[in-house]
Amino acid sequence: MSDIFAFNGASNAGWSQPKPILSNSEITNTVPDSMLRSEPPAWPRASEPELVRHYTWLSRRNFGIDTGFYPLGSCTMKHNPRVNERIVNLPGIDRMHPLQPEHQIQGILSIFYEMQEMLAVCSGMDQVTLQPVAGAQGEFTAMRCIQEYHRERGESHRNKVIVPDSAHGTNPASASMCGYEIIEIPSGEDGRIDLHALQSVVGDDTAAMMITNPSTLGIFEPEIAQASHIVHSAGGQMYYDGANFNAIIGKTDPGLMGFDAVHYNLHKTFSQPHGGGGPGSGPIGVKSHLAKYLPSPLASRRKSNDSDPKGVGDGFWYIWKSPEKTIGKVQQWHGNAGAIVRCWAFYRRYGKELERMSEHAVLNANYLRYKIMNPDPEIVSKMHAMPLDGAPTDFVMHEFTLSMIQFKDKVGITGKDIAKRLLDYGVMAPTLYFPMIVPECLMIEPTETESKEVLDQFAKDFLTILTEDPEIVITAPHTTDVGRVDEVWAARNLILRHSGNSTIQN
Amino acid sequence: MDQLPNLGREQEMLSIMGLNSIEDLFSIIPDDVRRTEPLPLPSPQSEEEIWRDAQHLLGSNIDLDSRPSFLSAGLARNFVPTMVGMLATRGEFLTSYTPYQAEVSQGMLQAMWEFQTMISELVGLPISNVSMYDASTSAAEAITCAVRVHNKKAIQKATIYVSELVPPHRMSVIENYVQGAGIDIQILKHQKNGCLDTDLASIAKGSCAVYVEQPNSLGILDEGLLKLKEMIGENTALIVGVDAVSLGIVSPPGEWGADIVVGEGQPFGIGPTFGGPIYGIFACSEKYIRQMPGRIVGQTHDTNEKLAFTLTLSTREQHIRRHRATSNICSNETLIALMGAMHMSLLGPGGITLLSKRVAASTEATKRALNSIKGVELAYPNSYNFRDFVIKLPGNSGDAVTFMDSQGVMAGLPLGEWWGDMSSCLLIGCDERTSESDISSLVSAIEEWIKEVDL
Repeated sequence: MSDIFAFNGASNAGWSQPKPILSNSEITNTVPDSMLRSEPPAWPRASEPELVRHYTWLSRRNFGIDTGFYPLGSCTMKHNPRVNERIVNLPGIDRMHPLQPEHQIQGILSIFYEMQEMLAVCSGMDQVTLQPVAGAQGEFTAMRCIQEYHRERGESHRNKVIVPDSAHGTNPASASMCGYEIIEIPSGEDGRIDLHALQSVVGDDTAAMMITNPSTLGIFEPEIAQASHIVHSAGGQMYYDGANFNAIIGKTDPGLMGFDAVHYNLHKTFSQPHGGGGPGSGPIGVKSHLAKYLPSPLASRRKSNDSDPKGVGDGFWYIWKSPEKTIGKVQQWHGNAGAIVRCWAFYRRYGKELERMSEHAVLNANYLRYKIMNPDPEIVSKMHAMPLDGAPTDFVMHEFTLSMIQFKDKVGITGKDIAKRLLDYGVMAPTLYFPMIVPECLMIEPTETESKEVLDQFAKDFLTILTEDPEIVITAPHTTDVGRVDEVWAARNLILRHSGNSTIQN
Repeated sequence: MDQLPNLGREQEMLSIMGLNSIEDLFSIIPDDVRRTEPLPLPSPQSEEEIWRDAQHLLGSNIDLDSRPSFLSAGLARNFVPTMVGMLATRGEFLTSYTPYQAEVSQGMLQAMWEFQTMISELVGLPISNVSMYDASTSAAEAITCAVRVHNKKAIQKATIYVSELVPPHRMSVIENYVQGAGIDIQILKHQKNGCLDTDLASIAKGSCAVYVEQPNSLGILDEGLLKLKEMIGENTALIVGVDAVSLGIVSPPGEWGADIVVGEGQPFGIGPTFGGPIYGIFACSEKYIRQMPGRIVGQTHDTNEKLAFTLTLSTREQHIRRHRATSNICSNETLIALMGAMHMSLLGPGGITLLSKRVAASTEATKRALNSIKGVELAYPNSYNFRDFVIKLPGNSGDAVTFMDSQGVMAGLPLGEWWGDMSSCLLIGCDERTSESDISSLVSAIEEWIKEVDL
């Protein structure tokens, strides 16, 4: 165990800094006596060599895409091209302030503009803002725009948002933060949207429906246009959760499906390393009737004229523009610009061939599902049971769900046990117990950046687990840095910080 | 296109599945929603071409390090230790996601638990989450959290008080975040000297929360805030927004009654990055723990009693609680918080004190130099300042900034952009890297401009 508070290197000044430009007594006089801090924070006392080793040690106890296969459904854990990281270290992004005047930021503004346009084209929307910094914030932003749209039309009484029971948890949470009441509708027998259920809940109190397509079951909703029609006929707006956008680029788009607003998870569909939980980037696109409510400012441009200073050389002068009835700000600056630049670099790698990316994401998901659901007879004879499809369908899109309920019923192995056992095989576990409508659910999303060999090996390992002695599976994992972690103990005892050099009691 | 390992092997994979074409897989998409035209986008580029274009486009920007700069206004022109970028971009950290599988995520979990400890120490409160999006969303979600905790006993139901000097972009974020909960925002006035009018502040008693900043957006350290908690009482949350670096020398709000502390973490860990990704600090006392937003890591053990870490208190969160969640936040800013933890641990107790002193010294030295210019006045001559301060110019500060820009100096933020009645005021931001030569460049540029307007 490497304990950062146990180091004692370099007598508490491990990292050298220049001296202040005034004397100590002059500095002390810049703070009222009553406000001077008495003791410095009890931070670690470590030298750079000790810390490099500490963080290297920690990194080796962490699993990323770079470590191995990461089929975490709904999270689209694809490879992150490394040039992106090199680009964001350029001073033209790293050392930029969002309040600099336009003539100093022509390059970054042109990248923002290009990204807004590209995302609009791929989604069939009219205007895009890059400000929201995560998918959930994108959802929230779009619902705020929809809310203002209804208010301006004198329809503030529209206070209900419809979500399918298979929706991501962020959908109801985001709408609820806007003050909306949530109506959850059950999926049909086939896991798809139930148009009768939808018809029975829409009315003149419907503000919007939030839905993702392909759904969280990984299946396309062929009746999506009818669903849009039902909601629109009742005066509601259609919101597209773009978490699963990786599946459809170039094949269809939310505009064609009848949506009015959409968010993109740039960190999923494009590329921003997920960094242990973030940062993300959650731009939204809207149809023209919602554009005037978008957060401010948007990147825009006009033809250059002779009086303009030097621009980026494409004949345009880039400017900020505020939408007419903007809801204002959701992030305090212009969004996660670093993520936007990485995604720009990623998108340039595909250009008009983005469609190939979606094709390969879907090909890989179907291939892996096929391999798992069609094992050799020899393996089948040893398996305790068969996994079940989360939803009946010929083909899935970019991900698929399996129900492990038969294993629980027959030999007491839960979905969680199988997930933990997979860790012993050197891969990350799939998303567990989501969507909630599938019992003992595993949700698997291979992404387009995994080779056939990786998929074959995963299928083989997965099926092997289904033949193993239940005791081994139930007590897994066995080869990881720590064994199965006691989450209940953590929640009961709430030890949320190091007692270390502490002056504060937990 | 070089990112697809199965390119060229499609037929092999399809034939195993008994299919002929990739299009079979998309056959479920009905014709009426099928795209018929290819995407109107340019051709794919190689890494080399992308790098070339990035250098060209980003190289045409003018960055803060290329000239004397006094533009801060909530972001710091910092220096990030080299170790931070090199270690945080190790693939095991960089390409992991939310540590749902604790058994293979102990590294990030422990690093975040250490981060929580460092933030807790810095602000003087026992609990910290693993980051919000930025200082503004932290402030906004602190307010909604406080209302959930205090509304039941509050006399002024669903009412909160906010300092009138909260900058407009942050106010806008707050308004967007609180409107859905039906929260009424009241304004607390400031005196002519820039400090909160504490005589009036007792009107906030009986409300759910008070949000103030220390230093405030004009960089003023306000001694009066030390009495604020006493004035508003136990049942009203005191939420304080901080400049995290100031806490090396300024007493932490936890010591003078703050219930929740929020702020911008960016000075620790990452450059200003055109405003993102950055990260918000969120720390609180025990009372708020079950209503707080965001992820949090707890210590525990594994089946063999070995020390381990895991995400905890997840039942507050959207993936479990759905529309009754305390927040919709899912992806946060963990990687940037990790960079912050690395930076903070390199600094250590001695280093944060020194860093804070360097900023304080730069602020004071710049203030003195500008105060000696004829025609320039300090807008709040008796105030104590950290990082930012305000000068009054004999003319429009926006014009002055444009002029000084042409002289190669980034002179700060014209405050008319924030508040219409402050159009002659300029917000000067200093940092640990402000040098004496930067200060003399600023002084010359201002003198030069004053000469121009005199003519």
